[in-house]
Amino acid sequence: MNRYSQQRRDSLVARLKAGNRAAAAELVDIYYERIYLFMRRLGHSRQVSEDLTQESFFQAWQHIGRLRSGKALNSWLHQIAANASRLHWRRNKGRKAVSIDGMDVPDNGKAEFDKVGHLEQLEQLKNGVANLPMKLKETVVLHYMQHLTIAEAAEAIGVREGTFKSRLSRALRALRRQIAAEDR
Amino acid sequence: MKEEKLEKLLNELADVTVEPSRPDFADDIKQRIPHRLIPPRSGIDTVNIIIDLRVSKLAAAAAIIITMVLWGSFLRGSDSIGDSLYKDGKKLVKDFLGAGNEENKALVAKSGYRHNMFLAKSRYQYLVQRGEDVTYYGDNIDPQDSNVVLMQWKLSDGNYKVIFADLREKTVSAEELIELQARMLHEKTK
Repeated sequence: MNRYSQQRRDSLVARLKAGNRAAAAELVDIYYERIYLFMRRLGHSRQVSEDLTQESFFQAWQHIGRLRSGKALNSWLHQIAANASRLHWRRNKGRKAVSIDGMDVPDNGKAEFDKVGHLEQLEQLKNGVANLPMKLKETVVLHYMQHLTIAEAAEAIGVREGTFKSRLSRALRALRRQIAAEDR
Repeated sequence: MKEEKLEKLLNELADVTVEPSRPDFADDIKQRIPHRLIPPRSGIDTVNIIIDLRVSKLAAAAAIIITMVLWGSFLRGSDSIGDSLYKDGKKLVKDFLGAGNEENKALVAKSGYRHNMFLAKSRYQYLVQRGEDVTYYGDNIDPQDSNVVLMQWKLSDGNYKVIFADLREKTVSAEELIELQARMLHEKTK
């Protein structure tokens, strides 16, 4: 999770709001991998994910004045990234989502048979997430994969916490259905 | 599959689907950082300085009178006509700083603030020209709060020089600076 303490994030936001370029570079160092992965997990290709990550940071610098505090930094940046992603899908209707290629599953001392079974489960789940409608996919990715809290994730996609929770439970139901159908 | 197990697997999926970006990707993003992240609301160029001076007519009047008084003092309290100008000037300053008048007090405070901002901006310009990496907060702070940080820059020993809104200067460590900045942000969001 985020190693930066609240105070450090507040300090970063204060410097960003003052237009400090070193702070802008620090923001990139802390968040570029997370935002890139967010784009990949939403189903964008490598190249598009890079473009959208760059676009997200550019938008963040342009609108840094709107950021309230260091506490909101994570959800604010994800909000910008989610908007950039949605805009891209809208402009490129019909383009298929691409899932992350490989999976690096740690050994954990499991027997080969268990490992293969576990890997299959994860692969099923990965495909299940990739096949979710975009609104549901966003909720799953933000909460479970980007590790945002319910409040942060709801803020990131601009909905109330109740709405977010309901979308999340719909997403989990859909995933369970998909996995059950594949197991049959 | 139970919900708990599904959630656990989703968390695990996040850990195993970590795809690194290309090595120089962060540098590419940093190259796009605009030279000026946020254009200052009131600029520090000549035009804005003139505008600032034009707005503060009373401050300008006070500055002229004070200059006259100082020159009078320099010439031992007399001028070619006599000491009437010096005396009148002193009286004007006294009236302007007007002990009893609340409106005058507010105007004087406002003029003082503008004067501080003007000096701070000049100092900022000088430091930037000297090549220091100065962060100027003047356009985002409440200048009435004398404890707020107006600008900062890093010193060669790793500490930071900080100038407050009342133009006090202080050398602080990185940790102290973080505390000051965090306090500023919290004050602002209150």
